[in-house]
Amino acid sequence: MTPTFVTEAVQVLRNCYGDDQIRTAGDGGRTLVRVSEVDLYEGSTPRATPMLLVLDPGQPKPLAYVQPGQLLANGKAPKSTSIVMVGGESWLQFSFNIPWDESMGIIRFVAAARQRFAQDE
Amino acid sequence: MSDVQLRLPLGLGHELHSLVFANGQHERVAFCLVSHARVAGATVLVARKILSLGDGDYLDDGAHGAAWRGTSMLPAIEAAMHEDLGIFLVHAHDFPGRARLSSDDLASARRLVPMFAARVPGRPHGSIVLGRGAAAGFLALPNEHARLVRDLSIRWMGKSIVDWPRANGDTRSDAEIFDRQALVVGNQDCLARSTVAVVGLCGGGSHVVQQLAHQGIGKVLGVDPDTSDLTNLHRQVGMCPADAERKSPKTKIMARLVKSIGTGTRFIGIVGRVPDAEVVEALKSADVIVGCVDNLRARADLQEVAWRYCISYVDVGVSIRPRPAAEHDPRVTIGGNVLVLVPGGYCMWCAGFLSDEKLAAETDGKGRSYFQGKKGEAQVISFNGLVASQAVTEVLQLLTAFRGSSIDPASLALEGDLQRGALKLDGVRGTLEDWGAKRRPQCPACDRSLGAGSAVWKAA
Repeated sequence: MTPTFVTEAVQVLRNCYGDDQIRTAGDGGRTLVRVSEVDLYEGSTPRATPMLLVLDPGQPKPLAYVQPGQLLANGKAPKSTSIVMVGGESWLQFSFNIPWDESMGIIRFVAAARQRFAQDE
Repeated sequence: MSDVQLRLPLGLGHELHSLVFANGQHERVAFCLVSHARVAGATVLVARKILSLGDGDYLDDGAHGAAWRGTSMLPAIEAAMHEDLGIFLVHAHDFPGRARLSSDDLASARRLVPMFAARVPGRPHGSIVLGRGAAAGFLALPNEHARLVRDLSIRWMGKSIVDWPRANGDTRSDAEIFDRQALVVGNQDCLARSTVAVVGLCGGGSHVVQQLAHQGIGKVLGVDPDTSDLTNLHRQVGMCPADAERKSPKTKIMARLVKSIGTGTRFIGIVGRVPDAEVVEALKSADVIVGCVDNLRARADLQEVAWRYCISYVDVGVSIRPRPAAEHDPRVTIGGNVLVLVPGGYCMWCAGFLSDEKLAAETDGKGRSYFQGKKGEAQVISFNGLVASQAVTEVLQLLTAFRGSSIDPASLALEGDLQRGALKLDGVRGTLEDWGAKRRPQCPACDRSLGAGSAVWKAA
């Protein structure tokens, strides 16, 4: 990711979710972006979650996290997740894979992350 | 501590102290750039950078303790803006008694602090005067009105934890209990006021909790997610067979043990694992963390909590391995470590105890969620006890300074650029030796997390 992409991604997220839904914090050269509420799929518990995006100019892709305790649309806990510390806070890390580069934009990335919680596993 | 504490990592504290207490024609000022966090209802400021003025920046003005060109503050202000840090102007009044800002200091603070706050909103800012063993400040904390803090708490990291102001005296009514350890401990209040977190309560951690309780530590936070079974009975201090039948939580066994010791130590058990939010929140309130965990991921998390919030961390571990069949005398290797990690000194990443490769190897290259635990590894109580006892001794040093209390990093030097506090156990030879470890100047983990505090969320 380029520093320009990071700046633009924050702006795109503001446009998409609204200024009051987006908070940012610096963390050792990385930009942490907290989206207050990202809607998940029908049946997910809770139905909406805060999402943390880590935008690190040193890395090829963003990282996405949600609040610990998030359940899938089928009511089960997602597999292959773990609680990790980011910016001094506890977040749920989850595995998902999409072919992505920054030309696809941050919204596509968030959409793929949301899709992870629609899986029936 | 007061409701605000400034914590200074090893090295930065000494640098600040040397700068502002330097003798000269006028007072010297320094800029301490800080992160911050809320910890148990108090505000903790953690120093990340110290900047000073050059000799040529000071003005010849006898009317003030020190006067300097306004433009000379620009590098500090720019650095604070760039790194999103609070700005504290620090100077010293090198005389005994309570530290207090003079009317001149206060007038200057009332002008400068709002200007700092306007440049870096959302962070604390202030002006601090250091005396001899005491400090005071004019502080503007986020979302609060600026105010005077007459007994500002300062924590210096060094050979021991040095707190200003120091404890007033031994207020324990049960001093007789601790009479025989007074020669080493000195003021028992140093222990009675302290909180030590112990993460992992089985082979190593149960020894640590037991000894901390005997010593009269004020509060022990015990963290473990597990219940006990028969395979723990040979090494968990305080466990009995009924605990295996009942599958008692390890925290419950430790609570019972501490109560039975009867020295007044308060034990708070937390059934969870790092980095659960509840666990991290509890660890932030500790004066010292002792890690007795069996995996590197947990060690990496404890390392990060300790560095972010400037908390001393003592890590213990024992590893028993068979030797090849052809070399059966001795038939095992018994290794172990006691690492004394003083914020600002070497970290586990600096010294190679942690690396991305080692973390990946722990889960066969997969994510953290694939970690299966290390059930079945060889453990023997006497070796656990050996490293645990040394860990408690290191906690004792950090809290009571029985070996000395210098904040000069040189006081921790082993030889060359090796820092003391990386003890290696050879259980076969029966030795525990300090091998020392090096602080890596460009360590990414130190750069990212040392003194980082909590994330400060701002409108984009």
